[in-house]
Amino acid sequence: MSADSPPAAARFRIRHTTKYSYTDPAPVCHNALHLMPRTTPWQQCRAYRLAISPEPAEKSWRTDLFDNRVDYFSVHEPHRGMAITAHSEVEVQPRPGLSKDAIVAWDAVAEDLRSGQASREPGVVQFRFPSQQAPIEAQIGAYAAESLQPGRSIVEALRELTQRIHADFRFDPKATNVSTPVHEVFEKRAGVCQDFAHLQISCLRSLGLAARYVSGYLRTLPPPGKPRLIGADASHAWVSAYCGAAGWIDFDPTNDVMPNEGPALDHVTVAYGRDYADVCPIQGVFVGGGQHTMSVEVDVMPLP
Amino acid sequence: MQGQQQTAGGAWSSAAGMPPAAGGLLGARYAVAADTYDEAFLPGGGLRDRWSDLQGLLSRLPAGEFGRRWHESQRMIYENGLSYTAFGDPQHRPRPWHLDPLPLVIPAEQWQTVTAGLTQRAQLLRLLLADLYGPQMLIRNGVLPADALFLHPGYKRAYHRDASEPAVDYLQFYAADLTRASDGSWWVLDDRTEAPSGAGFVLENRVVTSRMLPEAFRALFVRRLAPFFIAWQERLHELARTHADNPRIVYLSQGPHSPDYFEDAYLARYLGYTLVEGGDLAVRHSRVWLKTLEGLSPVDVILRRPNSDRCDPLELGGSWPCGVTGLLQATRAGNVVAANPLGSGLVESPLFMAFMPRLAQALLGEKLKLPGVATWWCGEKTSLDYVLANLPRLIIKPAYRRRGSDLLSAEKLAALPPAELAARIKAKPQQFVGQEMVHRSTAPEWSSDGAIRPVHVVIRAFAAASGDSFTVLEGGLARTSTAEPAPASGEPPAEKSKDAWIVGREEAEFVSLLAPRDQSIALRRTGADLPSRVADNAFWLGRQIERAEAAARLLRTVALRMSSESSGRTSPALPALWHVLAEQGQIEPGFVVEGIRQRLPKLEQVLPAAVLDPEQQGSLAAVIRQTFRTASQLRDRISLDTWRVIKRMQGQFENSVPTGADWTALLNVSNELIIDLAALGGMVMESMTRAQMYRFLDIGRRLERAVQLASLLRQCFGAADSPPVELYEAVLEIGDSLMTYRARYLANLQLAPVLDLLLTDETNPRSVAFQLAALEGHLDALPRNERRPGLDDDQRLMMSMVHDTRMIDVEHIAEQRSLGEEGGLSPLLERLETDLPALSDALAHRFFAHAGPTVQVASIHFDS
Repeated sequence: MSADSPPAAARFRIRHTTKYSYTDPAPVCHNALHLMPRTTPWQQCRAYRLAISPEPAEKSWRTDLFDNRVDYFSVHEPHRGMAITAHSEVEVQPRPGLSKDAIVAWDAVAEDLRSGQASREPGVVQFRFPSQQAPIEAQIGAYAAESLQPGRSIVEALRELTQRIHADFRFDPKATNVSTPVHEVFEKRAGVCQDFAHLQISCLRSLGLAARYVSGYLRTLPPPGKPRLIGADASHAWVSAYCGAAGWIDFDPTNDVMPNEGPALDHVTVAYGRDYADVCPIQGVFVGGGQHTMSVEVDVMPLP
Repeated sequence: MQGQQQTAGGAWSSAAGMPPAAGGLLGARYAVAADTYDEAFLPGGGLRDRWSDLQGLLSRLPAGEFGRRWHESQRMIYENGLSYTAFGDPQHRPRPWHLDPLPLVIPAEQWQTVTAGLTQRAQLLRLLLADLYGPQMLIRNGVLPADALFLHPGYKRAYHRDASEPAVDYLQFYAADLTRASDGSWWVLDDRTEAPSGAGFVLENRVVTSRMLPEAFRALFVRRLAPFFIAWQERLHELARTHADNPRIVYLSQGPHSPDYFEDAYLARYLGYTLVEGGDLAVRHSRVWLKTLEGLSPVDVILRRPNSDRCDPLELGGSWPCGVTGLLQATRAGNVVAANPLGSGLVESPLFMAFMPRLAQALLGEKLKLPGVATWWCGEKTSLDYVLANLPRLIIKPAYRRRGSDLLSAEKLAALPPAELAARIKAKPQQFVGQEMVHRSTAPEWSSDGAIRPVHVVIRAFAAASGDSFTVLEGGLARTSTAEPAPASGEPPAEKSKDAWIVGREEAEFVSLLAPRDQSIALRRTGADLPSRVADNAFWLGRQIERAEAAARLLRTVALRMSSESSGRTSPALPALWHVLAEQGQIEPGFVVEGIRQRLPKLEQVLPAAVLDPEQQGSLAAVIRQTFRTASQLRDRISLDTWRVIKRMQGQFENSVPTGADWTALLNVSNELIIDLAALGGMVMESMTRAQMYRFLDIGRRLERAVQLASLLRQCFGAADSPPVELYEAVLEIGDSLMTYRARYLANLQLAPVLDLLLTDETNPRSVAFQLAALEGHLDALPRNERRPGLDDDQRLMMSMVHDTRMIDVEHIAEQRSLGEEGGLSPLLERLETDLPALSDALAHRFFAHAGPTVQVASIHFDS
């Protein structure tokens, strides 16, 4: 096998730990989790297990409207902190190569979403509409339009847009926080993966295209000759765009890549939604508890 | 009885058939506006069908009788506390409910059209909701554009049900606002599917109008409201998936600060459901539970009043006090049913009005039986063009109803210059609809000068799911306004309401919610479990009643001494009483510090006005206001008579003018108040069953009375020097024990017998010892954690207080005092003044511990 031929598949063992601690005991807390990796045509979740401390009084799960698994649990005894670890094993295959379908013009896709067959397909068209964190904004649409010229192939145009966001925006965890609106990210030209994903989704929606938010993991390659750092890997987010007959194609503006289309198989998909709020890994409500602090550790370990 | 009614009814109706007698309320007519349907008058003059019957009946009333009866009725409205703004809001006093005494008469044949039309409309909206939260075939088939759903701010994915989850019927209770076109045909102006309000006011209006005009009510064969509410109850009962025999149904309200609270309390009581707020409920093991004094009690059905998106902070965000964290998961598990289910409000947006004819065709294969007001959604090109071309003739509304804000924005839109309005519509056409302006029908309104004038009416009609269909209320809430809506504005604020009388041709079957059904009722000695919050309120009501009484008694004693003929000479008791007044918060502490006192305005001049001013913190008026507010929060739990007394107390302070108040006024007010408080106490003693609610109310009273007495005794007799003899008399008077004292000791006033009577005599209901003994009895009867060994904190405190008080020797104290020593009275009273509040805290901790504010955790900032 030559060095650059794509691998047939990659397997990962993932551990995602979130710890909370409160200044005062909280008597009750309820949580909803989006932590189980999805199974898609090119990804299978082989194993999934939650370890929660303190032991929850009850657990249940359901599938949400985007087909993500949501786990629910609640604790009914006073506790000063909580640790939630999701263990999963995932196998990822390369995406099938882009077909001729992908050469379709982006504005034809937008037209179909506006009034064609796609406009009557709730599973697709719902991602065309603005959401709280990925709204429609004129100036963001204008920025996107530089790449999305009339008649241009949708994949080519989106590749260029992804490249431009990567080039124009500075990665800076201090520049934004979880509630920074996308127009502010646009003005500051800085942010983190979540901001870039929201920005690119806004770009597409502002021009009438459908785009969804992908939450997942990214394996960070260790520098040559150095051991892999446990915990250095992190939660990640990117974009999935509706490209007409070619279906949904992913773009990662943070790394300027098309996930799992190339030789590397680095991206693991957890959940799809309109924006972060739909797929927030842990959503919790607790009573009392005073101030709280939180830490997150993600470990994506390749399996042989 | 029945026969008599029949005869009376028959006699009246034959009389009604005669030409209307000259005069009478409806004898004179007004000019009916062109293009307007008048409910009472024919275009050519003369009264419509059943209105002439009403006129015949009214014209038989003696002159002035109608006005006199109305005057009586208004008193009833006031005393029943009918109001529709927030109870507890200090800025907005509750506005009384304005009812017009003339009912809106609608012949049953005509209401039949409404019944058929509303039934169809409710069915349609129910199917629409099922599709939008289910297969979304209407979008797939192109009947509805995707925008209709996905741009809707009220659309939340969490409301959907998975095929594996128990199915849900999204519409259980529905209301529509109706009016009539100039030809008398009915139009729907608005749909209400979230949690329609107004049904409680229909009931209240009916109580008032049927009592005011009993002859007409009987003779016109007015259809009854009860069958509808029975059907509704039966439906809610059927919804329970567990405990089908005896389901627990709760009425979830937004609490006393919401404008709907009066109605919530009224309806909950009428339907016989426990009135709860979000904090009263908890989700455990995918079930909803009511927090009661006895522990958690399962809930099967929630009659929901708050808007959907406030009901579950976990999945819908926000941290509203009415929210129940985890509610959605519990409903999905099928263990609890909300009616209406969460998400039902989606289809009340004006946008859907534009699609109703098409939806009726698609979902029912029928034409609409009841037309809606013509609506154009600007998201469709042809409609947009039409709206822009006809802008001045249309009402522009936001297409999506955001609860609580849309009226405002419709008004704002109306205020915009036409060019700017057009620009806004063009920028976001999907966000707007244009609606035809409909002339509302008119009906006569009575005014106190005896004349009638035309007012515009909108009728809110109600439907409840029943079997596969709906039951429509035979009645409605008619809201009236003198002005038509100004061009292009939204609804004018309703000014008054009318009771809608649906009149038949024969006697309706008599039904009552209390009528025995086919099952016998198991006897029980307690009501349903008491929510902790209610126990908390009852406790505080008890404390506030006592606080008010202590203040009133003290002020009366002071006022007597200030306004008596001997006022030229200052009573030697007064300096000590000023201190007590300061301690109670009736006057600024500065008044009793020598020196400062010289610079302040003379106490005698400012005090009467100050204590009658509700804005003055701690004043008598403020205490009464607080009592009223606490009682308002228990509105569904206290009897109407009790409420009337409380309302009267509050009324005295509303009407009295603080400026210019003098000692005589204060004397009168405090005298009245003491009598009212005695009535209240008697009502509580004689009418409340000795269940937990009474227990907590009485604990509050005993505890506060003991605190007030201990404080009074310490301030008057705490120092070693001997007090003036006038003070003994004043303190006995405040302690309502002067008569007893005289009966025992005649006019010989001394410390030991005074202390015995007010402190240690367990047979005197005004002594500290009596309060402590009563408290101890209550505490023993409270639910305890059996598994915990030993005593709880409250029991420990109680025992030590009872013990200390019993051990004190008042004769010994008096002896010591004669030797110039303190004698140990002050330490005991001080201990009581510390331990009693500690007991209050301990009880609050054990029984009222409320859920604190909820905290959202959903903020993981990605750092990749």
